[in-house]
Amino acid sequence: MPTTTKPTYCLLTDDSPTVRKVARRFLQGSDYELDDAGNGQIALEKCAIRMPDVVLLDWNMPVMNGIEFLRAAREQFGRDHPKIVVCTTESGVDYIREAMASGADDYIIKPFDAPTLHAKLSGVLAAPASV
Amino acid sequence: MYLAAPLQAKCSSEAAMASISRYEIMPTPDNYTLWYEYHAGHHAGLRRTMDVLISNGDGFEEATLHDLTSTFISSAKEAEVIREASRSIQEALRSLIEVAHRAGAEADDFGIALTNLAARNYGDNKESLREMVDQLIRESRKMAGKSQSASAEMKDRSTEIEILERNLAQALADARTDSLTGTANRKAFDATIRKLAGDAMNSGDDLALLMVDADRFKHVNDTWGHQVGDEVLRHIAATLKHSVRGQDFVARYGGEEFAVLLPFTDSKSAISVAENVRHALIREPLRLALTPPMGPLTVSIGVACYEPGDPLAEWIGRADAALYQAKGEGRDCVRCA
Repeated sequence: MPTTTKPTYCLLTDDSPTVRKVARRFLQGSDYELDDAGNGQIALEKCAIRMPDVVLLDWNMPVMNGIEFLRAAREQFGRDHPKIVVCTTESGVDYIREAMASGADDYIIKPFDAPTLHAKLSGVLAAPASV
Repeated sequence: MYLAAPLQAKCSSEAAMASISRYEIMPTPDNYTLWYEYHAGHHAGLRRTMDVLISNGDGFEEATLHDLTSTFISSAKEAEVIREASRSIQEALRSLIEVAHRAGAEADDFGIALTNLAARNYGDNKESLREMVDQLIRESRKMAGKSQSASAEMKDRSTEIEILERNLAQALADARTDSLTGTANRKAFDATIRKLAGDAMNSGDDLALLMVDADRFKHVNDTWGHQVGDEVLRHIAATLKHSVRGQDFVARYGGEEFAVLLPFTDSKSAISVAENVRHALIREPLRLALTPPMGPLTVSIGVACYEPGDPLAEWIGRADAALYQAKGEGRDCVRCA
């Protein structure tokens, strides 16, 4: 791979500092440029300034939660950007259907480990744009 | 179809026997069921997993077969329980719809609600099934309030459904309980550890795991027989349950090994819970009149704390390694990873 490749800009959106820290640890050292957002509102503002390649999106957050961000982002920026991977716990599996129907590209369940996070993010980044 | 089904069953059964002999597998009922289900092809996940194992050509270890059974066959049994309950509830629904029709126009809303429920496909998903039953009870109560003429009959039907719901809850609880010791079983443990680790990752709170193993258990079985072995396991299970708090989770992990999940507990507190278990066994020993007399019943315990992001198998592996260390260092002790 040529060294001039732009790093993937990934926005970690979760109100849990632990989850952001873990995701950061897993992705650091790979070809990612990382940024944090503690809720959907902040994430939306950051997207408007500079579009991330991919957003890791928690479901339950204060101020603006995952589904609200998802709907607003698809409305404002369209279906293809940014790629969105919804992140929820086992008890939130019912939300996954709603998330996928509202334009999420994939989901990941907490607790996740490094290989799973890498696989999910590269999976959605490699997927062709929707028609 | 009526002719084809028994014929197909016979073919699957013969194919299962052939595979058991080809792969030199112990012909236990569980293994037979596993291979029968594989050849019958009812379960796509089982089929895929076993095809991979067959094409790898590694053969089938006992442990692999056990894993396959607990992953695919046991959960299939639970799904069968749910399907059975669904069928009963469907019947109750049909009679409710009849009652609603007889009650006339004022029951229209109720009839529509019921028809919507009946049309819903809840398959073997227990959450949506429960949700449906709850809604059914609510609708029935609403209707019972509205219609004088139908209220008595409606009340009977509501009671029937409530009984069904209790039976369903009981069947689901049974599917997650170890019948010998009354603790949660391995399947329930696998689900609970994922849930608690997810919560711990979210909140950043501590979460500890104890792996508890009866010392010299093989010797107990060999000397006094399996019934005494069973008593030993029940006694350890009871001691564990008395030694933990309400939010903690005790499960039989397999054989003579138990696992205890301790939310909001750091390694120091987890070690003291483990020491309490060990002391409780000494304080309240298992009293059995045996010849020759059985020495004190003790356990070895391995402790490991969850590190958010660690694969769960690695975390369990660390607790297991600490347990082996405790065994290696003379048993009847606690070691922390």
